[in-house]
Amino acid sequence: MEFLSARSVEEALQLLRAHGEAASILAGGSDLMIQLARGEVHPALLVHIEGIAELSGIAQHGNLTIGALTTHRQLATSARLACGYLALQESAASVGSRQTQEVGTLAGNICNASPAADTLAPLLVHAATVTLVSDARGERTLPLQDFLRGRRTTARQGDELLTRIELERVPARTADAYCKVGRRSAMEVAIAGLAARLTLSDDGQYIAEARIATCAVGPVPCRATSTEEFLKGRRPDERTLREAGALLAAGIAPIDDTRATARYRRSVMEGLLGRALRICTARVSITT
Amino acid sequence: MSVIGSSSIRTDSNARIRGEECYAIDYCEPGMLHGAILRSPVAAGSITRLDVAAARRMPGVRAVATASDAPEVLAGWVLLDTPLFARGQVRYAGEPVAAVAADTIEQARAALDAIVLEIAVTPAVVDLRTARSSGSPLVHPDWRTYLSPAGLDFQRDGNIASQLLSVQGDVDGAFAGASLVVADEFESGRQYQGYLEPKSAVGIWRDGRYQVHTGHQYPFNVRDRIAQFLQVSPSSVRVICHAAGGGFGGRLDYGLEPYAVLLSRLAQGRPVKIVNSRTEDIETSGSRDNSLITIRSALDAAGNIVARELLVDLDNGAYTGEMALMPSVSLLIAAGAYRVGAARVTCRLLYTNTPPTGAFRGVSGVAMYTAVERHMDHIASELGEDRRGFRLRHLFRSGDALLNGQVLDDADILRAGFEAMEKTAPWAAVSGRTKPYRGIGIAAAVWITNATPASVTIKLNEDGTVGVLTGASDIGTGAFTMGVTQIVAEVLGIRPEDVRLSQPDTDVASYDIGSQGSRTTRMVGGAAQNAALEVRSRILHTAGQLLQAQPEELELVGGRVRKAGDTGPGIALSDVALANTWGDGPIIGTGRYADKPVAYNPECAKGLVFSTFPTPTYHVHLAEVEVDPVTGNVRVVRYVVVQEVGRMINPAGVVGQIQGGVSQGIGFTLYESLRLEQGQVVEKTLEAYRLPLALDLPDVEIVIMEHPSADGPHGAKGVAEPPIVLVPAVIGNAIADAIGKAINKTPITPEDVLAALREAQA
Repeated sequence: MEFLSARSVEEALQLLRAHGEAASILAGGSDLMIQLARGEVHPALLVHIEGIAELSGIAQHGNLTIGALTTHRQLATSARLACGYLALQESAASVGSRQTQEVGTLAGNICNASPAADTLAPLLVHAATVTLVSDARGERTLPLQDFLRGRRTTARQGDELLTRIELERVPARTADAYCKVGRRSAMEVAIAGLAARLTLSDDGQYIAEARIATCAVGPVPCRATSTEEFLKGRRPDERTLREAGALLAAGIAPIDDTRATARYRRSVMEGLLGRALRICTARVSITT
Repeated sequence: MSVIGSSSIRTDSNARIRGEECYAIDYCEPGMLHGAILRSPVAAGSITRLDVAAARRMPGVRAVATASDAPEVLAGWVLLDTPLFARGQVRYAGEPVAAVAADTIEQARAALDAIVLEIAVTPAVVDLRTARSSGSPLVHPDWRTYLSPAGLDFQRDGNIASQLLSVQGDVDGAFAGASLVVADEFESGRQYQGYLEPKSAVGIWRDGRYQVHTGHQYPFNVRDRIAQFLQVSPSSVRVICHAAGGGFGGRLDYGLEPYAVLLSRLAQGRPVKIVNSRTEDIETSGSRDNSLITIRSALDAAGNIVARELLVDLDNGAYTGEMALMPSVSLLIAAGAYRVGAARVTCRLLYTNTPPTGAFRGVSGVAMYTAVERHMDHIASELGEDRRGFRLRHLFRSGDALLNGQVLDDADILRAGFEAMEKTAPWAAVSGRTKPYRGIGIAAAVWITNATPASVTIKLNEDGTVGVLTGASDIGTGAFTMGVTQIVAEVLGIRPEDVRLSQPDTDVASYDIGSQGSRTTRMVGGAAQNAALEVRSRILHTAGQLLQAQPEELELVGGRVRKAGDTGPGIALSDVALANTWGDGPIIGTGRYADKPVAYNPECAKGLVFSTFPTPTYHVHLAEVEVDPVTGNVRVVRYVVVQEVGRMINPAGVVGQIQGGVSQGIGFTLYESLRLEQGQVVEKTLEAYRLPLALDLPDVEIVIMEHPSADGPHGAKGVAEPPIVLVPAVIGNAIADAIGKAINKTPITPEDVLAALREAQA
């Protein structure tokens, strides 16, 4: 296995054009190194991109733009995310440990496409898009949901590099939250995860829009659109939250694995929705 | 100034913090080969084909070993039932079938892949329920031919590798006449020791002897297992220890050492190093045994327990290790810390086709106290009585006896323990239900200080420092680098850092049963104290001549000898040492220590092979938990330990052991599932096997009670095991209190809690 470190996006793209599918992109390595150690992947070449400074950072001009190599730790501590993107912050702060948060990147979490990836549900409720660049075909942008094709599969072509992620601007009277279920407080792959983004009506009494996304309860993190539709226009009272929880639990497709049973995941999801939405309403009332 | 009772710093801490310590896993030899072991992929079966010819021809391969390369014998610590390699039959998934030594580890692993192994799978005894059922296959059809090396009288029968039967008083009459009978069933899982350093060994065949480098709790056990497996005398084996990265019982029996030395012999004496992967280590560590416990109590009209009946089934796995001793321990804990009247106790150790279980901090105590103390809560709730008050009514008093007939002269310490707990966490205040999903648990225990004797040799160096030589080892507890060190320093009036310890070497040091059973500070410390006293008396003899004084007029202070009451410099220990080195001969002292035998009633049971709780200590624990009703996660928000320790030699060490023991107990109770499915370990990595993190653990509140024993060094008793034995009991009690429903299993997973909550709500 060869190791080449790219100093610029151009250099990385040339390497990917030359080696394509035979290459693996190495950013922080918090997933890839484990997969290599377990013999799950056998790339001929590692294209190391960690040092490309232009791919890191968070900026807001209308939409929120996050560089591909922004680390979980940067997300967890960024003041820019504190207004409106707390779910992303909370999810990043829940990934692995402090050590892995320091090296693991947002694009890495996206491209690894784990069913349990923490940051994906928050990104989905903010209607995130991902931008990919290739030396041969230039740039393309697509919704994150379309980018995620299945368990550990994405729409990324072998010669493409994911360069940035964009999140919608957050409307008024809106707040978000990420709730993660794990057996211990850190170093935990999500047993189940749920992100919510809630916009209340002008009078604060009704749900103008609810966006819900889940992880680790299906092959791909995804939005729960029927639950979202159910919530729209209703008061966020206990009964509504309970019914929405039951609807959400009925719509997911969890599996039994070493970490938990499908039954537990379904059962947890039911209550987790109410918890996330209660946090959102509290956050809306604090910020408005 | 006395160093006893001071938190002197571990003498090995600097090297460990700087990363300079050479652990066993770091040890290398010139020309060393790398070994790997082929293990059975199935739980039970007959080997129909084992062909290593292709493996022998693989690049870099220097030796391949199978059962046919070793004597056809069975070995074992207390029962001879274990082959080195599977011979004909495999009895658990993970059982060694062959081993390879090659120039590199990659070559060794490639050679393992080239070994042709075919097994005709046979029905496996996958769990305790199968093992004890009447139609179960026998894990060892030849069980009758097995011998006990120590001549111990194990009661065996088919899948029962050892059992204890005890009937005391009119049990049936008491149950027949009872006003109330309360019954419970408990299921307890396995636990991996989870030490930082996986097992390893470097084996060398040299000059007609086997030599092995390892990190171990009990090097003489390794020596004796190698001697058994390879049919040589124990003195033909030399075990040299290096720093061990934790043990917790997992390093008490042999590990990779016999395979490493055999491969070295087959490779013409090239040293062979074998290192467990974490997965191999989890699968074969000799985990805490899982168990099924049925317990019931008869109560009279006044609400007093008048009889107790227990059926305890422990999982031995496929081979025995030390486990055959364990049924006896159940008898000693069957009553807990309480008067229970008549008693019938049946405890069986059952063979299954699963990885062998073994020693783990608080052997048998963790599951037994869970059953007994959870049951006490259940009885109190049936009586509508306060749980603490119910316990106090039944609590042992000084002069009461355990079910083995051993009289506890000082059991009133338990009552003092409850009083000390009351001062720290007043029961009425903490058990008043202030918040939903919060609960409290309380429990009490009696525990042992293992009293196997010890010996120590101390030499006075020419610079006035001393060297300590013993077969005992410090596996990271600090029992040596704090406790024994301070005891020696105290006798000789020197600084703890001037006491130089050595790692055990079976060629050099005398026999020791190792770092286990909370014994090191008391037993090895006692021997070290006696050795130091001999050194002291020789120092005083010489110094008396040099200072023209009677030895009894002299004292040892600050590395010098002077007349008691004198303010002058006196004479340095180095001068005394030099005077002896070139005069009468260098100063050396040896000391031994043994506790007085504990009286008990040998007629109390059949199959009693571990008969007493010497130097008992007393314990009261309290926990407060918070249950998350959405996820079922449990958080331990408060944990209080009241522990009787005899005398604290090193307070920091005592506190560390208690915080550590409770942490390990919380791990077992809430986080660490080590499940078996069809004989296969489910949690094979540290990602799946979740050790608790600092974030998951409370700062344990610790109240120490000192009741120095009449003997032993400064009255010290055992400290390290008891902090774990009550943890699942108090947390289980607290969870039941929080959710109004009992969960009678360990570990208690979020899934269990959520299911119980749903049931309670339905």
